[in-house]
Amino acid sequence: MSATTTTTRTGRRSSGQRQWAPYAFISPFFLLFTVFMLVPIGAGFYLSLTEWAGLGTPDFIGFDNYARLFQDPSFGTSLLNTAFYTVFALAVVLPASLLIAQALNARGLKLRDFFRLVYFMPVVLSPIIIALIFGLIFDGEYGLFNAVLEALFGFGGISWLTDPLWARIVVVVLVLWRWTGFLTMFFLAGLQNIPRELHEAAEVDGAGPVRRFFSVTLPQLGPVTAFIAVTMLVNTAQIFEEPFLLTQGGPGESTMSVSMFIYRAGFQRFELGYAAAAGVVMFLIVFALGRLSISAFGVGRTR
Amino acid sequence: MNAATDTPEAAARDRRRPSGAGRIALYATLVLLALVYFAPLAWALSSSFKERSEIFAFPPRLWPDPVTFENFANLLAEQPFWRWMLMSTVVALLSTVAVVFFCSLAGFGFAKYEFRGKRLLFDVMFSSLAIPLAVILVPLFILVAKLGLAHPLFALIVPWVAPAFGIFMMRQYTEQAIPDELLSAARIDGCSEFRIFWSIVLPLLRPAIGALGVWSFLTTYNNLLWPLVIVSEPEYYTVPLGLQALFGAEGRQYDLVMAGSILAAIPAIAVFILLRKQLVSGLTAGAVKS
Repeated sequence: MSATTTTTRTGRRSSGQRQWAPYAFISPFFLLFTVFMLVPIGAGFYLSLTEWAGLGTPDFIGFDNYARLFQDPSFGTSLLNTAFYTVFALAVVLPASLLIAQALNARGLKLRDFFRLVYFMPVVLSPIIIALIFGLIFDGEYGLFNAVLEALFGFGGISWLTDPLWARIVVVVLVLWRWTGFLTMFFLAGLQNIPRELHEAAEVDGAGPVRRFFSVTLPQLGPVTAFIAVTMLVNTAQIFEEPFLLTQGGPGESTMSVSMFIYRAGFQRFELGYAAAAGVVMFLIVFALGRLSISAFGVGRTR
Repeated sequence: MNAATDTPEAAARDRRRPSGAGRIALYATLVLLALVYFAPLAWALSSSFKERSEIFAFPPRLWPDPVTFENFANLLAEQPFWRWMLMSTVVALLSTVAVVFFCSLAGFGFAKYEFRGKRLLFDVMFSSLAIPLAVILVPLFILVAKLGLAHPLFALIVPWVAPAFGIFMMRQYTEQAIPDELLSAARIDGCSEFRIFWSIVLPLLRPAIGALGVWSFLTTYNNLLWPLVIVSEPEYYTVPLGLQALFGAEGRQYDLVMAGSILAAIPAIAVFILLRKQLVSGLTAGAVKS
């Protein structure tokens, strides 16, 4: 009983504190978000209407940068490439990691942690070493992969990195190799979270493994899948390191991504306004897609 | 759940796992896949001990012949590799400490308080996940440079110490791991709100902090695009920047870059192997539950 009176007394003092405390706790994020994200986005909009090489004052040129952007075949290529990488990530990497997770979730599997560790390893490594290894393996003249093909099938003359089509394929193979294990880990955690009783009930009702996968496993994995899909969408839409390090966007511009296009325009050609305009276009596309899928899947909502 | 596995039915269930051919196919697939992951790394390791001309020898040789430490010796003699390493480690460690603190604090704020505008603020925070770095790359660079904040130790760390992904993760974990009663009890004892966070909540968040810490360390340690833009003086190069400069230079110094990336991978792999359990369970906790 005496505890109740204490509660009300100290409760009142700290209830004032309880009202502003959460604002104080989340304020560092909002401070940094405003200074280092909102302000740059606003500045980017302004900058995109100017021509500027970084010295003096920016010249206001209206929407010229945008008009130029939409006629620039390099920008078109980079948009298409980025779309290709993103669709590949969602349509191939995602299902592949679900399959691997399903395999790792097999009952009584030995060495599960070992396999998971090995598959996860690429995420830990610097993209430089990964690009270097892939460069060695897929080198058109001296590469390991061509040597293996030569030994097995008697032909090995594919110029993996200097043919526009094959170079794109190698980039997505790199994406597949680098990210599958990471996503697998999320799917595996999701699978381990599904109550076993659900599977048993379905089994008793006569559902085979495939049927059980589609009517028990997939629906139960909803939240994980949504989270992974959104993360992967946003990550792959801003892909930079893989093509930059592996092929420098080449041959020509055939593997260049939008992030690379922006980097090149801004920091190699010093067309800051033009780069900013490309940034605005990217923002509109990625943010719209990201926001849409976040609300469509209900990711991040409190239960 | 644990009690259920002890029942006879559960034991029978476990015995009825798929067997024979299916099992063999499963293990064969997993082992093959492990090779696909392992082989490139082994190839890199082996190449780093090959002579420059041998790296691209045709047909490729799996075992270096002769085994040479020349690449490592040359790298360390010609390039300030340890300096890059020091810079990378300092930046990654400072970032990690700050990230862990700010994300736990904000995650706690979102998980355990009711306040006006919470939902909107959370949505804003979460939406910022969908803003690619490339979008703000140019204006952020200009802003940081104009404000005189371009010193690498500032620019590489401060803008990134409260990532939305980390806040989201910590909120998810805090919701599950911290009982409300504990907070009420602390308030009855007259603890201030920050003290509650610091001495009661933070210690209980340890598993998630481990995961976030490893994650933050690795991403900062391996980061390339932002350092590439903001760091111009070679004396502040991080390892990825230094290696990228070697790699981008004429002639692609495969031998040096290979040795350097092997050395750079050692701390990353060590951190990962030591803390892998925490990393996996902590990172996935948020995604699975919500």
